[in-house]
Amino acid sequence: MADILEVAGLTKRFGGLVAVSDVRFSVREREILSVIGPNGAGKSTLFKLIASFLRPTAGEVRFKGERISGLAPHIVARRGVVRTFQETTIFRNMSVRDNVVTAHHLRSRASLAGFYFGTATARQDLEAFGNSADEILAFLGLASMRHEIASTLPHGHLRALGIAIGLATGPAVILLDEPFAGMNRDETRRAVELVRKVRERGITVLLVEHDMTAVMNISDRIVVLNFGQKIAEGVPAEIQRNPKVIEAYLGAEDESIGK
Amino acid sequence: MEQIIANGFYLGAQYALVALGLTLIFALMNVLNFAHGQMYVLGGFVTYSIYGQFKLPFSVALICSGLTLAVIGALMEKFLFRTVIRRSKREESTMLLAAATAFFLDAVILLLFGEKQRGVPKIVSGVFVSEGLIMPYDRVVVGLVAILMIAAFMLYMQYSKPGRAMRALAQDRIAAQLMGVKVDRYTMIGFALGAMLAGIVGGLLVSITGVNSGIGGPISIKAFLMVMIGGAGVVGGAIAGGFILGMMESVGLSVLREYGDVTYLVIFALLMVFLSIRPNGLMGKPWG
Amino acid sequence: MTTTPTTRIISAVFFLLALLVGVPLLISATGRTDLYYTLTSVALLSIASSGVWITFYIGRINIGQGAYALMGGYVSAILVVDYGVSFWLTLPLAGLFCAAASVLIGLPILRLRGVYFAMVTLVLTEVVRLLALALPVTNGAKGIVSIPLPTGIGIFGLTLVPDFASLANPRLAFYIVAVLLMALCFLGLYRLVHSRVGQLSQSLQQNEELASSIGVNIAYLRVIAYAISSFLGGVGGAMFAAISQSIYPSSFTVADSVNFMLNCFLGGLGYVLGPMLGTFVLYFGWDMLFQTGEYQLLIFSTVLIVLMLVLPNGLLSLTLSARRGD
Repeated sequence: MADILEVAGLTKRFGGLVAVSDVRFSVREREILSVIGPNGAGKSTLFKLIASFLRPTAGEVRFKGERISGLAPHIVARRGVVRTFQETTIFRNMSVRDNVVTAHHLRSRASLAGFYFGTATARQDLEAFGNSADEILAFLGLASMRHEIASTLPHGHLRALGIAIGLATGPAVILLDEPFAGMNRDETRRAVELVRKVRERGITVLLVEHDMTAVMNISDRIVVLNFGQKIAEGVPAEIQRNPKVIEAYLGAEDESIGK
Repeated sequence: MEQIIANGFYLGAQYALVALGLTLIFALMNVLNFAHGQMYVLGGFVTYSIYGQFKLPFSVALICSGLTLAVIGALMEKFLFRTVIRRSKREESTMLLAAATAFFLDAVILLLFGEKQRGVPKIVSGVFVSEGLIMPYDRVVVGLVAILMIAAFMLYMQYSKPGRAMRALAQDRIAAQLMGVKVDRYTMIGFALGAMLAGIVGGLLVSITGVNSGIGGPISIKAFLMVMIGGAGVVGGAIAGGFILGMMESVGLSVLREYGDVTYLVIFALLMVFLSIRPNGLMGKPWG
Repeated sequence: MTTTPTTRIISAVFFLLALLVGVPLLISATGRTDLYYTLTSVALLSIASSGVWITFYIGRINIGQGAYALMGGYVSAILVVDYGVSFWLTLPLAGLFCAAASVLIGLPILRLRGVYFAMVTLVLTEVVRLLALALPVTNGAKGIVSIPLPTGIGIFGLTLVPDFASLANPRLAFYIVAVLLMALCFLGLYRLVHSRVGQLSQSLQQNEELASSIGVNIAYLRVIAYAISSFLGGVGGAMFAAISQSIYPSSFTVADSVNFMLNCFLGGLGYVLGPMLGTFVLYFGWDMLFQTGEYQLLIFSTVLIVLMLVLPNGLLSLTLSARRGD
């Protein structure tokens, strides 16, 4: 299977602080790859760099062989690399279904003016979006609450909505931002299932996460960061036994316990 | 040439003081004090009344200007801004409140002092004349006072307890609160201080350019310009912005005089270009 | 409480009829012909305010609409007086000129947010005033006066719009035009808010990064919204010049720009009709206070301050049925 996403020597400096330093790895098509690491390891910076919400100081990110780093975020989304957001959704006051319909923007054939004046193409688009939204919601198990107002959704379902919004764009690669954060065992189990289903649609998943159990469970491969550098890469079994990884997490644990 | 620089310098010092007041308020409360120009005007009128009409010494008049505006600033923060900031999550509310206070002060000024242009007798007579330079002594005095005040302000902010508290608040409100800084008290002091600075500059400049009720708005706009150039929320930025604007005005006044009132047009055009490259001004807090 | 589309259409038609027919009848009955000017002003100012409302919709605080009103007024005046163009043609031309200018100005500044953006727009109004003073074509401080009344529009000998100079009551005619323009404007606004374009714009307000991530070109959308906003400002200004038959650098000041924003805010930023209600209340409020003489501004600003303290979210937020975007 080909490498669909390549992270090549990515470095990001904020003033004097180096958040990410010469990180390189590749993501294979249709795999689920997780990026883990203790707090402050640079995971979220890396995440934003890949989705092009930050410009790298050095290095680049390539999608299907073409550079996407440094391009405007909406263009990267158009190319097929889409990120989700943890707790935000587009319209807190709109229904779940409307949220997903709106997110279909990238699939519009009609122009903005077309939508304003309600041309035939626009109407066809809207109908297609509606059907697609229904399908996505059903796929993710949200069909029963599709008319609920987004802000009333419980935690776990809000996350699923975030994924639904990502799916609406028709991505090739989806970037999940801590999809299991703050979940109990049941919720995590369901979320893991969701991520698997996303991959079943042919989408490559790159996720950044803290929760080790879920990550070990679901990832094909794992990349470990510490202090902005990649310290390990491999299948879950290898990572679990990797002494550097253990030390990184234990070391961090010492600090959090307090001396 | 020296004339332009000298003029720009003394003017820049005044403007820097004004900008400092505005930027302090912005840094503490994220509020654009629309009424800043009106505070300047009020300061000028207080000095006019006390020095020009009651014939008390100029320094006394200046202190009165400062105190009056400090009180007004404190009252505004405590009873108006604090309430609105607490009750509304939107930025527009505080902005509109600020605009309303500007209108209010405009109205008060008009009622109390009328529309006429007012001036006061020179505080120091005599003129310094040299080859390329004609500088009335009163401008020198005013410039020096302004520079002294800028220095005093910076020392105050750096070393005094209230100063450090305010800096902590400006940097990270929540962290400061957690460290025990009394947010309400120091926000009020900050606003009062900002207002006071505007009032003092008004008092200083009334002795040179006079004052009238209509210049409040334009002065506010100049203050905004300075803060935009130098960057909002940063002391160095305010000072830089003030001096830059003072210098540009001085240059514009002499060089562009034939073309009419285009000085500010040029300044604005340059600002647009500048903002495209550096949206936060020279040293500003990233906002946007 | 939700209303069906039919109820809304019926109430809108009723409202329009009340304005176009009911009000003139009332005025001729009471003889208060001065109210024509007041109401026309309210209509035009609400158009300009609705432009500001649009910029709020994409998450920016616009205190510079006065600049475009002034620009539009001058463009129309110059075209009519110096080039003999029919006023009706200058209306869209003024709007387009302002839209074009706003694209130029907007490109560098629209990426600024919050107070920064507001600051720049505030300065903008002052700058256009200075431009009006400085440029030879705008005639400096003397402004452009004695602008002729709008000429008629005729096709194939049929008069669609009569020549205003021939009318016995041009004020009524201006009133009708203003109301029609206002209706058109708010209809367009309503459609915008309820169409997909509106939803996408609103996504900018809520979370710009999320909007980007679903592929919305936020820079482009912002510029379009700002251009439409400025277009409306220009049209409002152009009509004003026609009604007053004059335009000066001081016709629209920073205070006016602030007022436009105030109108939106007071009426409620979440409601399409907000700018209309806000303009109405503020304008009549100011007018009524005229009798207090020199205390007018004092009382006005005091009431404003009290309103901000008590109703931080605008007037329409008082209505229990929060019909968002109705």
